[in-house]
Order: sequence, then structure tokens, then C-alpha cells
Amino acid sequence: MNTSAEVKEVTRRNFLRGAAGLTGAAVALAALDELEAHPETALASYEAQIAALQAVNNDPTQMDVLERMRIELLRALQKPVEDRRWIMVIDLRKCVGCHACTIACVAENKLPPGVVYRPVLEEEFGEYPNVTRRFTPRPCMQCENPPCTPVCPVEATYTNAEGVVVVDYDQCIGCRACIAACPYGARTSDFGLTYTEDLPVADNLIVGMDTAEAYERASNFEYGEARSRKGHSSPIGNARKCHFCLHRVRVGELPACVTTCIGRATLFGDANDPHSLVAEMSAKPNVIRLKEELGTEPRVYYLV
Amino acid sequence: MTKKAIYGLSVLAVVLGLYGFYSRLFIGEREVNYGSFVTWGLWVAMYLFFAGVASGSYMVATLDYLFEIPLFKGVGKYALWGAMVTLPAALMSIGFDLGHMERIWKVYLNPNFSSLLAQMVWGYTIFGMVILLTLWMVFRSPEKPPLALKLLMVVGFIMAIFVSGGVGALLGVNASRLVWHVGLLPAQFPIFSAATGFALLLVILAFFGPEDDPRLGQQLRVLGITVIVMLIVKTYILWADFSMSLYSGVPQNVDAINEVLFGQYWWAFWIIQIILGTVLPVIVLAIPNLSRQRLWAGVMGLLVLVGFAAARANIVFPALTIPELEGLATAFSGPHLSFEYFPSLMEWSVTVGIMGLATLAFLIGLDRLPFFKKVQDLSHER
Repeated sequence: MNTSAEVKEVTRRNFLRGAAGLTGAAVALAALDELEAHPETALASYEAQIAALQAVNNDPTQMDVLERMRIELLRALQKPVEDRRWIMVIDLRKCVGCHACTIACVAENKLPPGVVYRPVLEEEFGEYPNVTRRFTPRPCMQCENPPCTPVCPVEATYTNAEGVVVVDYDQCIGCRACIAACPYGARTSDFGLTYTEDLPVADNLIVGMDTAEAYERASNFEYGEARSRKGHSSPIGNARKCHFCLHRVRVGELPACVTTCIGRATLFGDANDPHSLVAEMSAKPNVIRLKEELGTEPRVYYLV
Repeated sequence: MTKKAIYGLSVLAVVLGLYGFYSRLFIGEREVNYGSFVTWGLWVAMYLFFAGVASGSYMVATLDYLFEIPLFKGVGKYALWGAMVTLPAALMSIGFDLGHMERIWKVYLNPNFSSLLAQMVWGYTIFGMVILLTLWMVFRSPEKPPLALKLLMVVGFIMAIFVSGGVGALLGVNASRLVWHVGLLPAQFPIFSAATGFALLLVILAFFGPEDDPRLGQQLRVLGITVIVMLIVKTYILWADFSMSLYSGVPQNVDAINEVLFGQYWWAFWIIQIILGTVLPVIVLAIPNLSRQRLWAGVMGLLVLVGFAAARANIVFPALTIPELEGLATAFSGPHLSFEYFPSLMEWSVTVGIMGLATLAFLIGLDRLPFFKKVQDLSHER
């Protein structure tokens, strides 16, 4: 049985662990501020990072695709914003349905219960003995003709200069018209729930409960803004969606779902760079897009 | 006696609504059952219903103030007052549905007019002002409608069609929801609205009409026949809609129709909308003796209104219960991530409370507003 001192000790350790995660996110936020304040310093930094990565391995065919995509990402960041065109390519033959991307996304964006940006759809085909399963990760399609943006009564959701469909949480009135309009079910509403609140626990029975509560309330850093979950403040009450981890991308980090994909099934990069991996893969003949017939022109491609 | 009973029921409804109002205003949306898949629930359905009744009632008021039909002389005020109390009920219902209702002012200051929702907010605001102005003008000149009032009624009539058709378009523009994405929706909504306007006037005259107005029996009869015609038109539209969808065989569309006919809401369709809301009123109102009797006419009018409320719900929910992608329903679990929906106690509480408030407002207006007194005086003079 734990003594009170032990419980406190564990709680403190958990707190430090949680704080380390938050510190990482805060560093990313600081990097964004730095980028805005001194773009020339950021550019030099990108070049240095590219050089460091290439010093280890300079053969794109030999390096891990994560390294290659990172170099391409840093290269894209040196271009004007409007010259970038972020796309995602998901190789369904490589996806094993581990849901690591879903969990990484939840952790990165600190998504509350009922909010999901990137579920993995599971389907089963055929009859024994010819049975197969298909796993389809479904982030926001970041459509070029998004049906979700024109229905917003206050222009709270729009396509930004980089081609990513974003939500202005402070502008959103929470009508959920965009959620109804999305043909991919890619938006969810934040109803203000937390995982820890109202849990039926006795005092000190769950170790780290207080840390977990504090972690849930602490800020996430979507869109490069620190937003804590307090009262009814945004993003509570808002429509939420995948934003290609823009807060990471802008500081030279790949989206969380890309870095955690154990099969390297999810690729990300600048389609306007003809030498990028995503430009190469999205030009393959076995590429499809979901519900192409709707004319939404998704920026997420699937290799089948 | 009837009025006292309805007063009592209204107060009871408001009391029952207090829990919902408190929960929504001070706790938020945690206790609702709609979510990220069934995005719009009971409150949106009731918004469509109340807004339809408001615009329909205004349309009906033109019988008196625009077309000057002798049989309806003096009853336009009831319809106008009906519109005046149901419009705020509609806006309350949709306001509670907003995640950030305190930001509604943004729709006025930063509107995106390509959004039907923004058009509706502006449309209903203007329509509300037109109703108020109409009431004021009617109050000023109760005897003979001046030209200015007639012109205003024309504007209001057009606005009523715009806003009631607009809510149909609000759903219809969603190309991803095949069952909504038909031209029929914005076309049929004004007809639905007019039908509810006639049904409301039937209820009002049956329960609260001047006791000694010799025209009352005839008024109820004519309104009853009009409601029958409207119900037949509605049923035909329903048939056209469903048969076209089922015949075309597009899976998402067929699934949504099957959901209405045989799914979790089958009882709302067959029992409330069809049997109680359509077949029974058509039969009763078609019988001359019964349709002239206040109680029968009033109850049938009420059933028609309930049927139309269910019809609105049957348009909203089933379309949203069909997953956009195969496997989406089971891909991630959590609260508010379900394709099954039945309103929560708190949602019902809010709706009952709003109904109570609207009915109470109507009754208080009927008793306190001087111009209803004048209507009754006029009928006495006749």
C-alpha cells in the first residue's frame, strides 16, 4: 500500500514528465515566434539542418523516407508561403492498422474525448478463405474545393495561403454547418469533455490523477497558439479538424502522424517541389482520392 | 376553462424546461446526445418547425390584410401574433444549438453571405422586424388595411417564402448528404410552412376564437379543408421524394429513406407523422359536422402541427445517421461519436420549455394586448 509520501513522490515525477512534454510544445511555440520575428535567422537554421541531415546520408534512395521528407520540408519552408502546396500521400499497402497515427495526433493536439482528427477506418472483405482487411487512415482531405468553408456563416473556416483548411477558433460560433457539409466526416465538435473529470475515484487511489487533470487543462499549441481548456473558452464549443500539424510544419517538423507511422505509410511534403517524395508518389498510376466524383479535389492521395 | 388549462400546461412546460435551460446555459453541451456525426438534433428540427410556423402564419395573415377575404376579416391578428411568438421560439431553439451562442453578433458584423446560415440569420432578423412593423400598423388602423400595410404584407409574404425556403436550402446545399441534396427541399418547405400556418390558425380559432362570432364554424370548416389540401400536397411531395430516391437506388440515399421508413425512427414516421399527423386529421376534418366543432378542429390542428414537427425531425436526423465513409462508425469511439441518435432528457427539457414559453407568450398577448380586445369588440359589433 502506498504511503502518502510515496504517492506525492510519484505524482511529482508524473508532473515532471508531463511538464517535459509541455515544455517541448512551448519550445515549438517559441520557435514560431522566432520565425515571425527573425525570418532570416530561421532560413539559415533550415539550411544548417539540411546540411546536417545530408552530412549523414546524401543519397535520397538510401535514406529513411522520414529524413528525406524532413529535408524536403525544410527546403519548402525557404520558399514564400504561397508557393508551397502541402499534400499527404498514404500508401494503403503499407498501413498495418496500428492506429499509432491516431494516437499521435490525439497526443500532439491534446484532443479531448469525442474529438478525433485522424481515425483509421477498418474494412473487411471477402469470405473465408479469401478474406482481407483494409485500413484507411482518414485525416482532413484539405480539399482544394472544400464544401465546408462556404457554409460557415462567419468565415471562421477557410483555406490558408499554404492550401490548408483551418479554423479560426475565436471566430467560430459552433453551428456545426461545416461538420454537416464535410463529405468525409473529417470534422468533429468539441463538447468540452475531459478524460479525467467526474471519474469515480477515491482520493489517492489513482496515482497521477491530479497530474492528468492538470495536463488535460494545460494548453495545446494548434495553429501556434497556446489555448488551455478553461470554462467554455475555445476550442470548446468549436468545430475542430486536422490541420496537417501546421504548428509543427512551420518550424520544420513533420506532422505527428507522419513521424509515428511504423510502416512509413504516410508521406507529407510540398507538391510544388517536383523533386519531393510526395510529388513523385502522387504521380503514380495507382493513386486514388476519396470521393473524387464530388469534385472536392482532396490534397490527400492514397496509393492502392 | 380551456384557456386556463392551457395556461397551466404552459407554466408546467416552462418549469420542466428550467432544468434544460440551466444545463445548457451554465454547463454547456455536455448533456446533449447530438454530436459530431449526428450534428444536428432535436433543437435544429424544432428550429425548422417553429420557423416554418412563423413564416406560415405570416402567409396566412395575408388572407386578412392583403387579400381582404371577408371570412377571415379580423383573424389576421391571431396569425400575426402566432408568428411573433413562434419566431423567437425558433431562434431560441437554434441559439441553444450553437457551441458559442454569445458570438452570434459576428454573423451581423462579419457575415459570409455565401453561407445559407448567414442569409437565414439576416433573413429572420429582417422578417422579425417586418412582423413587428406589421403588428404595429395593424394596431394603428384596425378597421381597413391601408395601402402601406398591404405593401408591407407583400414584402413580408416574400420574406416568409424566402426564409422558409432558405431553411430547406440550408440542408439542400449539402451535396454530401444525398437525401437532402434535392431541389425539392427548398421548394417543399414553404408549402410545409403554409400548412403549419393554417393548422396553427385552426388551433387558435378553435380554442381562443371569439365565442359569439357567427362565422367561426365556417372559418373552422374552410381552414380544415385547406389543411386537408395541404396535407395531401405534403403526402404527394413525400411520395415523390421517397419513390424517386428508392427507385434511383443510390445506396446512401436509399439507406436514409429506409432509416425513416423502417429504422430507429419508424414510429415517428408511421405513427406520429402519417397516422396521427396526416390520416386522422384528414378523416376528421373531412367530416363537416366534426370539422365545425371547436374541440375536434382544435385537436386535429394540434395533431397536424405535431405531425409536421415529426416531419421536420424525419428530414434532419436520418440523413445524418448514414456514415459518410464505410468504417467511420467504428473507427474511433468516444462520446458524441455515434450515428445513432435519440434526444437526451436535457434536449427534451429545453424544447418543452421553449414550447411553454411560446404558448405562454401567446396567451399573455391574447389577454393583455389591447388589439385583441379590439378584435373581440369588432366581432361583437358585427
